[in-house]
Amino acid sequence: MSVLRRETRHMLFTVAPGALFILVFLVLPSVYLVGMAFLSSGPYGLPTLPLSLQSFRELAGFGFLGWSPGNLYTLIRSVWQTLLATALVILLAYPAAYYISTRPARWRPLMLLAIVVPSWTNQVIRSVGWMNIFAPGTPVSDLAALLGLTAPQMGLFPSQFAVIVGLVYNFLPFMVLPLYAAFERLDTEQVEAARDLFASPVAVFRHAVFPQTLPGLMAGIVLVAIPAFGMYVVTELLGGGKATMIGNLVARQFAQASNWPLGAAGAMIMIAVTLIGLKVLRDLGRRLSGDREVVL
Amino acid sequence: MSAGRLENGLRAFWIVLLVFLYAPLAVVVFFSFNSINSSARFAGFSLQWYEQLFRNEAIVAALTNTVVLAMVSTIIAVIIGGLLGYGFYRYRLGRLSWLVWLIYLPVIMPDIVFGIAEMTFFVAINERLGILSPGLGTMVIAHVTFQVPFVALLVNARLLSLDPQLFEACHDLYAGPWQRARFFLLPVLRPAILSSFLLALTLSIDDFVISFFTAGPQSTTLPIYIWSAIKKGVTPEVNAIATLMIGSVFLVAFFSLLVQHGPSGGRPSKGGRRA
Amino acid sequence: MTHRTIGATAMAVALAAGAGQAMAQYEGETLSLFNWSQYMDPAIIEGFEDEYGVEVVENYFNSNGEMFAKLQAGGVSQYDIVVPSNYYVPRLVESGLVQPLDHERLPNLDNLMETFIDPVFDPGNEYSAAYQWGTTGLVYDREVLGDVPASWSVLFDPAVNPDAPFALPEDAQVTLGAACAWLGHGYDCTGRNALEEAARLVLETKQRDNFAGFIQGTPVLQQLVRGSVAAGMTFNGDYLFFKSEDPEGFANIEYVIPEEGAEVWVDNMMIPAEAPNPGLAHAFIDYILRAEVGAQLSNWNYYSSPNAAALPMLDEVLQQPPITPTDAEMETLTFIPSLKGDDLQFLQQVWREVESR
Repeated sequence: MSVLRRETRHMLFTVAPGALFILVFLVLPSVYLVGMAFLSSGPYGLPTLPLSLQSFRELAGFGFLGWSPGNLYTLIRSVWQTLLATALVILLAYPAAYYISTRPARWRPLMLLAIVVPSWTNQVIRSVGWMNIFAPGTPVSDLAALLGLTAPQMGLFPSQFAVIVGLVYNFLPFMVLPLYAAFERLDTEQVEAARDLFASPVAVFRHAVFPQTLPGLMAGIVLVAIPAFGMYVVTELLGGGKATMIGNLVARQFAQASNWPLGAAGAMIMIAVTLIGLKVLRDLGRRLSGDREVVL
Repeated sequence: MSAGRLENGLRAFWIVLLVFLYAPLAVVVFFSFNSINSSARFAGFSLQWYEQLFRNEAIVAALTNTVVLAMVSTIIAVIIGGLLGYGFYRYRLGRLSWLVWLIYLPVIMPDIVFGIAEMTFFVAINERLGILSPGLGTMVIAHVTFQVPFVALLVNARLLSLDPQLFEACHDLYAGPWQRARFFLLPVLRPAILSSFLLALTLSIDDFVISFFTAGPQSTTLPIYIWSAIKKGVTPEVNAIATLMIGSVFLVAFFSLLVQHGPSGGRPSKGGRRA
Repeated sequence: MTHRTIGATAMAVALAAGAGQAMAQYEGETLSLFNWSQYMDPAIIEGFEDEYGVEVVENYFNSNGEMFAKLQAGGVSQYDIVVPSNYYVPRLVESGLVQPLDHERLPNLDNLMETFIDPVFDPGNEYSAAYQWGTTGLVYDREVLGDVPASWSVLFDPAVNPDAPFALPEDAQVTLGAACAWLGHGYDCTGRNALEEAARLVLETKQRDNFAGFIQGTPVLQQLVRGSVAAGMTFNGDYLFFKSEDPEGFANIEYVIPEEGAEVWVDNMMIPAEAPNPGLAHAFIDYILRAEVGAQLSNWNYYSSPNAAALPMLDEVLQQPPITPTDAEMETLTFIPSLKGDDLQFLQQVWREVESR
């Protein structure tokens, strides 16, 4: 048996099962879904020939009533809610990650675990938790009503507010972890030097801490923003139809209204926006770090 | 600003953050023991919802499905993903450098797209060949597909952290590939395999969307059951089921502490693909 | 006598009737039933299981759209029976998701009332057999809203309900139908101008501060009892069913047929095209069509029976409103039209607009 053949066999044995799995059960289905976007919708919503761009026209808002911005709103709302949630997550994760990194070494793993464990529970269950808290008549809802934030009998959910809270809650750990890793590697001498140079903590942060934690931040944004943009469960459970995102629009074409080609076209848009977002982040990361390669 | 004040501020912030993270879970657990059907007012301690739960055939079946799905898919994913991680390490610089794209694809794909793509694909196959009709089988396939990359990445990361000379020494020591695997690779990879097992398990437990779209009538899992039940409002019964899931997650967390003396989810890749 | 003891009696009768026949044919097999939630007496299922020596697996849906989507996504080869409403029957037939019924195997089909034999949506009962019928109306909490008119204005007019939380069902034709009725176009409106106007109204309604979200007909009842909404749309039978379970909680919750008109519907048993066990499915349909079982079903779920032979055995409460509408109400009740092609596309487009904002 030749060496080459043995190596090929070894390669096949190790790589083939996993690669085939992903190829057959992810790449192939995705290609099939993309293809479906270019078919027509049958009389009851299933894909059918002939090939057509109808779904994309409809998605862009061209319908029986002329152009309407409904789907565009959904897309913009998706991006906006993603950005807002990501920004809030960053605001919470920075102090948390810093605090953990300044604790004695034996405490840190436990603290990180404390951050991560809630995200292991099922996302439906996490939403159920917030439904319990935000329902009408609970202390939190009563407090909000007392402060005049909501009408007395309404409760805090379903609402866009509840959706944002749900998004932040779901994705906070994925920002804390990479930021913590960055803080752990922080060059304290640089920070000390900056402290001597600048009086204000803001300036210290901007010139010494931020650049050093940037790779962690970028990784965190990817881990938070991508799944937040594709959110389905939180908007469906906590939004009550008021904070619909593109994931809901897509899912409904398969789970309720039935228009598979339209849903497939929506899924394509989701993938496209995700890829564009990744590219923007990469460029942004490069610019902020002065052309130093940021690993994403 | 003095260091002491910053310190105190941060400690207070940390406590508030923990409350934020655990309040929703605590409320679920708390109201599951409520003696009345309300999640606004606690009238008294009661185990009645748990009794009802275990008398309800549909819930018991959902519980079984959840456990079977998580265990079966995780075991398959660890085997396939472990091999893939090793193969990727061995051949990453050669003919298989493109593998990195394949491995990252499931990680960046929004899971709603993932779930729907699989569903339509399974339907198409089922119509033509009569196989892959929606049920536990299709759910296992879907779960393995999103678990494999994470396992592969963890195993690969562990191998990359080793001194390459170790591999050469190993080649000199052991003759065949099986011996090398048995006496060198498996022991070296043990921590990575254990942590990827726990990671894959939590990925499976956490998933709802992909399960939802690939499930069949007989393969309802607990999260899917809850999903349809909460349309009627959050009841103590729902909270009781949720408490079971929360309890199982804390069990996994406990094991991960035992196994590694540290968080198994300590890698940023964890959860990257969940939405 | 409560309806449950009547149910038990009917059960015994049914068992006695079936005892003589050879039912071993399906021994050990499974029937997969896909039905609306809260719609089937567990005792009927047990009776069928015992008589035939089979197992029935029940799955539930909350809207016709959900049921239709599940059938398309592989359910067509997994369920033995589905129970769509009248306006979804042609949709299922024309998209090839259901198979014709074998009338030879359904001797009890003759038990159906004249109205339900040869219905407009399924000539000759070729594909469907009526299960139950009922109305979709307005449900509200009198304690919160006070004495309001029997009108859709409770949902659509901010002057009638300025601040109490309310819900609408997330079912395009049902919700737009109610809006159409309130606007004076009738519940069964199909004209594009009317539908567009209705969609705009629902959109405006959705933007109101006290709109609590989209909640389907059965779940909304629990939310009313818990006080998280004060008004919504539901079905007459579900209303009475839950009221009988919890008279105290429902003391102030009213069900009315709005004067602008509402929906009357009939849900139908159908067999998916690739059902795993069509033989047993026929046996099940025929079982439900038995007079005693039909009566037991209605006495349990509080809906009107389409089964003429079952009428004498129905509880008194079923013979009066809201289960049996008054003649005046009957005048205002209409079927939801069955749409297809461009009309259906149009409806779904305007509904997407509603959902997107």
